[in-house]
Amino acid sequence: MSAVVVSGLSKSYGSLRVLRDISLPIGSGDFTVLLGPSGCGKSTLLNAIAGLEDIESGIIEIDGVDVTQREPSKRGIAMVFQSYALYPTMSVRKNLSFGLRVRSVPRAEVARRVEWAAKLLQITELLDRKPSQLSGGQRQRVAIGRALVQNAKVFLFDEPLSNLDAKLRTEMRVELKRLHQELGVTIVYVTHDQIEAMTLATRIAVMRAGVIEQYAAPDDLYEAPATLFVAGFVGSPAMNFLRGRMAVGDQLSVTVGDVTLPLNGYRFTSTPAPGQEVILGIRPEHVVLSSDGWVDGEVLFMEPMGADTLGWFQCGEHRVSARLVPQAARGLTGRVRLSLMAEHASLFDAASERRL
Amino acid sequence: MTTVQWRQRVGRIGLYALIAWICLFFSIPLLVVIATSFKTSAEVRTFSIFTLPASPSIASWVKAWAHACTGLKCGGIRVGFWNSVRILIPSVILSVSVGAVTGYALSHWRVRGANMIMLLLLLCAFIPYQVILYPLVKMESTASIYGSLAGIITVHTVLGLPVMALLFRNFYVGLPEELVKAARIDGAGFWRIFAFVMLPLSVNILIVATILQTTGIWNDYLLGLIFAGRDNVPMTVQLNMLSTTSTGEIEYNVNTAAALLTALPPLLIYFLSGRYFVRGITAGAVKG
Repeated sequence: MSAVVVSGLSKSYGSLRVLRDISLPIGSGDFTVLLGPSGCGKSTLLNAIAGLEDIESGIIEIDGVDVTQREPSKRGIAMVFQSYALYPTMSVRKNLSFGLRVRSVPRAEVARRVEWAAKLLQITELLDRKPSQLSGGQRQRVAIGRALVQNAKVFLFDEPLSNLDAKLRTEMRVELKRLHQELGVTIVYVTHDQIEAMTLATRIAVMRAGVIEQYAAPDDLYEAPATLFVAGFVGSPAMNFLRGRMAVGDQLSVTVGDVTLPLNGYRFTSTPAPGQEVILGIRPEHVVLSSDGWVDGEVLFMEPMGADTLGWFQCGEHRVSARLVPQAARGLTGRVRLSLMAEHASLFDAASERRL
Repeated sequence: MTTVQWRQRVGRIGLYALIAWICLFFSIPLLVVIATSFKTSAEVRTFSIFTLPASPSIASWVKAWAHACTGLKCGGIRVGFWNSVRILIPSVILSVSVGAVTGYALSHWRVRGANMIMLLLLLCAFIPYQVILYPLVKMESTASIYGSLAGIITVHTVLGLPVMALLFRNFYVGLPEELVKAARIDGAGFWRIFAFVMLPLSVNILIVATILQTTGIWNDYLLGLIFAGRDNVPMTVQLNMLSTTSTGEIEYNVNTAAALLTALPPLLIYFLSGRYFVRGITAGAVKG
């Protein structure tokens, strides 16, 4: 059962088309992340689902009901904003209960729900403070609490962690994941941070220029990106891209520079033409040092990252990174042989930038 | 001392001399008026206006307030004072609240043609009243409120609207849009958001608006003269009638006392609220 269904959604600001015919079914209980660079339309899409943004065409259904023309408050949603948007003059308690009082929920019920949310988010002792007396992390909790008390069908998060410092962000990420598992609610979450997306989401929709490039589970997105853009955007350190040509022969292989790489074990989704220009994408963890490797590389420098070290190599005209075991990376100089694990690679048509 | 230090010292002396001169320039007329208001009629007649009162007396203040005659009525300037109060209070409340709501609507709600409205308001704020006096009089008499308390209050409210709306709009534009979004999702409508979210944040700007309108309306002469009608002449108009009365001798001491009485309320407001005034203006100018 789908909690939210967006179909054929379009929106423009003047001549700029920010959303182009978006269709997105979101399953009940899903944690869906809208991921993309700034200006890709992800926040606009979220605001459209919330009803805060007028749309030109398309239909938005929430919980099986067409809510396209409904007011935000009549859609069964709750929202957490990037700037928290707490009411500055109200205490935390009033912030949490404002929406309920507006909806004339009985007093006892309001108190019960506020207590429940405050306990869940560990902000009970802050209930009588004003937002200005809270730290960033505490404000964030209050903002989440304000959404939780609503008993909404769908929770919308607009970059809720981007105003927090790195440590707090990691903590809140875990907190959000816990909340999602504990409450089993449907969440639509906007972020430009791919790590946040990978760690939180059950499904990720990667957006670019008003279009959803790929909508898939985090693992699928990471392992089999559908487009060159997704491949480059998701994953840190980033994927290596090697320009080459499909080689002619009895076995499918790619010629990069003067090296021919066999594509044993690669699962093609379409049949490439011989001589077709392609881009071979390979993640750093799938580039390995091996004495019988196919590629000759000159050691450039090492980036120790703790658990592993990112090694950079000059292979012909390409600069290739490899995720190495720190011990192996230490003292590595001169020329080395590298092999690429073709079964984990991604092959894209150079023209359409789609996966082959 | 070095030449540089000399130069600095001379410059400083010059600066203070200039400031002192400017202060004198502005305060001498005021001092003359204050001194005159405490003199007796005989003193006013016989001595120079620059002498201080020999035996200061508040007799002329009492007379100006309670007994001075304008035409045939001798109720003093207090009649005008109370008229001004009756005009002031509803005018300020109306113009400030209408301006606040307009500014709020223009800043946080998608109003059709909002930019056009803004432009018109801006234009209206710069139109001299004299230009539109005649049509205003015609409109008011058509609505049969010309020359009444309702008439003058309407004029003050309408003419105050452009500046008030711009002031509030600029203030509300500085408040985060997400506050309104959050409140809309919480189910609050236009008025509830205004009352519970925006107004509590508007204390400073409300004080600024109230001061601007209070001093503006209190000091108004032209509109009061034309629109208030005979029974509601504000203090400024009555002051003029008092001082231009041509019968009998001119009582400068009473006139000056009456003038000071008229100028007192806005002065008091500036003194009491100057702090908020500066704070509010900058709050509106920079951001929320």
